[in-house]
Amino acid sequence: MEITWQTIAFAAFAVMTLGGGLMVVISRNLWHSALFLMLSFFGTSGLFVLLVAPFLAAVQVLVYIGAIAILVLFAIMLTRRMMGLEETQNTQWPAAAAVAVILFIILVITVSPLVDEKAVTDIFGDKVANFNANLPVDPDAKDSGVVANQDLNIVTVEAIGEALVTRDGFVLPFELASILLTAALIGAIVVAREDEA
Amino acid sequence: MFSTPTFDELNIWAALPMMALAFGTCILLVADLFIPKDKKVYTAVLAGIGLGVSLLIALLQASGVEIGDKSTAFEGIFVVDQFTHVVNVISLMAGIIGIMVSYDYLERTGTERGEFYTLILFSTLGAMLMGSSRNLVMIFIALELLSIPLYILSGFRRPMLESEESAMKYFLLGAFSSGFLVYGIALIYGATGSFELVNVWQTAVDILEGEGAGQFTLLIGIAMVLIALGFKVGAVPFHMWQPDVYQGAPTPVTAFMSVTAKTGGFAAMLRVLVTGLAVVSASQGKAIDVWQDSVQVIAVLTLILGNFVAITQTDLKRMLAYSSIAHGGYILIAIAAGGTFGVGDSSAQAALVYLMAYTFTNIGAFAVVIALERNERNTITLNDTKGLAQHSPLLAAAMTIFMLSLTGVPLTAGFIGKFFVFKAALEANLEVLAVIGVLGSVVSAYYYLRIIVNMYMIEGDAHPVADKQPLALRSALWLTAMGTLILGILPYIMTDLARDVTLAIVGR
Amino acid sequence: MVPLWFYLVVSAALFAIGAYGALARRNAIAIVMSVELMLNAANINLVAFWRYLNPFEINGQIFAAFVFIVAAAEAAVGLALIIAIYRSRQTVIVEDVNMLKW
Repeated sequence: MEITWQTIAFAAFAVMTLGGGLMVVISRNLWHSALFLMLSFFGTSGLFVLLVAPFLAAVQVLVYIGAIAILVLFAIMLTRRMMGLEETQNTQWPAAAAVAVILFIILVITVSPLVDEKAVTDIFGDKVANFNANLPVDPDAKDSGVVANQDLNIVTVEAIGEALVTRDGFVLPFELASILLTAALIGAIVVAREDEA
Repeated sequence: MFSTPTFDELNIWAALPMMALAFGTCILLVADLFIPKDKKVYTAVLAGIGLGVSLLIALLQASGVEIGDKSTAFEGIFVVDQFTHVVNVISLMAGIIGIMVSYDYLERTGTERGEFYTLILFSTLGAMLMGSSRNLVMIFIALELLSIPLYILSGFRRPMLESEESAMKYFLLGAFSSGFLVYGIALIYGATGSFELVNVWQTAVDILEGEGAGQFTLLIGIAMVLIALGFKVGAVPFHMWQPDVYQGAPTPVTAFMSVTAKTGGFAAMLRVLVTGLAVVSASQGKAIDVWQDSVQVIAVLTLILGNFVAITQTDLKRMLAYSSIAHGGYILIAIAAGGTFGVGDSSAQAALVYLMAYTFTNIGAFAVVIALERNERNTITLNDTKGLAQHSPLLAAAMTIFMLSLTGVPLTAGFIGKFFVFKAALEANLEVLAVIGVLGSVVSAYYYLRIIVNMYMIEGDAHPVADKQPLALRSALWLTAMGTLILGILPYIMTDLARDVTLAIVGR
Repeated sequence: MVPLWFYLVVSAALFAIGAYGALARRNAIAIVMSVELMLNAANINLVAFWRYLNPFEINGQIFAAFVFIVAAAEAAVGLALIIAIYRSRQTVIVEDVNMLKW
């Protein structure tokens, strides 16, 4: 495999994601954990950019870093007496580590057939988009070749919006998501509100 | 420019029970703001009306009145069949009885808040949607809609520490399991390229038949989804949250979630597994044994652990928690039976009949616990049931009915449920599983009958509990006790509803 | 171009890290953070599968968007519960949430 800017960018973002994630779970200081969580989210966002999912990359920054990580920081500040905790891992951490390693091995075995690019084509047949090219090829227009990068981006963002309200079948989940957020909102208020009694 | 679909194209009226409930919840949310703090009874009544209207529509649909047509709605993401209708009826009944047993408890413990009822309604909606989705996206969101209100409700009795702790425990484990659900769905998507259950299983046939390496991706994906659903219904080995949460949560919430979470979880499991099997069988003419063995193992473990650990419990709520794990095991027997070719429909029917019987019986049993808790105590041990028959014969009689039904004695609803489950297991040639189920019932008789013996034969020094409970709780007790008896004596009321249940493939 | 399996291995590793954190940390907030890592891992997986195997159907990205929604809802509810418990107990250590107990 040749080294291109994409490979380098991938390596950088992957290190960010995994390194940040690792520091989240082993860092002794909870505040550092939260900051590393942001780093990990940012790395994921970079991976989304490489995967030509610009909308998700933007939402990743807005929702995960802008909302969830900030929420976590607030929670840490509100429970600040917990920050200087000496023992961060519980007594069952060796078992937990074993579970994590086994999980990782299983998941890697799961994807291992995909290492061979020919196998990917064999498994997924004509569904697989031109695997080695930078950009997917429209199966309906195989002769005409590659779709322009720009076009794909535009289609993606617009199509997400359309799929949520048109006939692509995501109307109901979209509505349900709003009900879910309402329920979560009410729930969070009920729990966090001081009793006025 | 894109075209927005019309109401008719979406077949929106077919989903009327859900729509009515969602609408009712919104009204309740606003109306509650104008109801003064000492008049929360109106909120409870309003919530009951919302559930009742929805139940009425669901019952009409279940008994064959066509509201909305076609077999699917919302562009194929939502299935409208008898299974949907019966799951609706069960969830809504659980919601209504849940509110009836809650009102008095909330008033007594000073945790009266209008939001309690709103959250119950949201959770009920989630359970209903889990039974009607045939798309992994929908199952995921409906599961969260079912669970998130339950996390809050478990912690509703503040400032009681046990309640708050159980809420946190439930939340942390629930969130952990939803991580598995999402990852599993992602793997299934990777292997099949779709979230639609029908498409997933159609592709799965090719993958599983062939030599393809995508097999492992698919199987691990399905396994992770099952782990997440197993967490939700408390199947062994994913049950460890259940006793602590059931014990710590406010008792009416325990009663409600012991039924609703199980209904939703098992409905989704049936949709994922048995529908999938129907697809596989339809294209192959034979079953491909993908999951039956693992479900069998889980069912046996669940039965054994639930029943045997329940014997050792001294706390009544904790004993009922383990007993409800065991009851999950019986439903798992029904699901495992669905793995044999041609038994899918009777397996779904058995599971639904069991859930219907379980709804009345289990909420009723917890209602008795609520009544016993009246004398200012948080924990009810088995000793507290001693001599109950002397000062409150009616309460003791109700508890006797529930215990007999949980054991599965004839002339109670529980017997009918077990009968259908074992019948499905025998149809599927799973004799060993059926025998283990019967043995489990025998073991369970020990701890259920012990309570009856306590109530009638042993002199008790427990504080006397008035037979005359507050109106709502009393009616709930009557309703569940009578329901358990009537469904046991005239079983065709519920078996007729379930008779037309089929998990055949519905076209788009 | 980076092969698909690179992404999948990163995702698997992140999921395992998150699972370790959820099982091994004592602080409830740290457990919530670990669960968020697990959801993130699933999202990487989804988007990678979408991009490489199915780029002309939008469904993979839509599901990833729904995962964002659920993650936000869970974080809000979970952190509210944790803060409430801290207020009454002055601690958020989860000693008794023994997730590996059978």
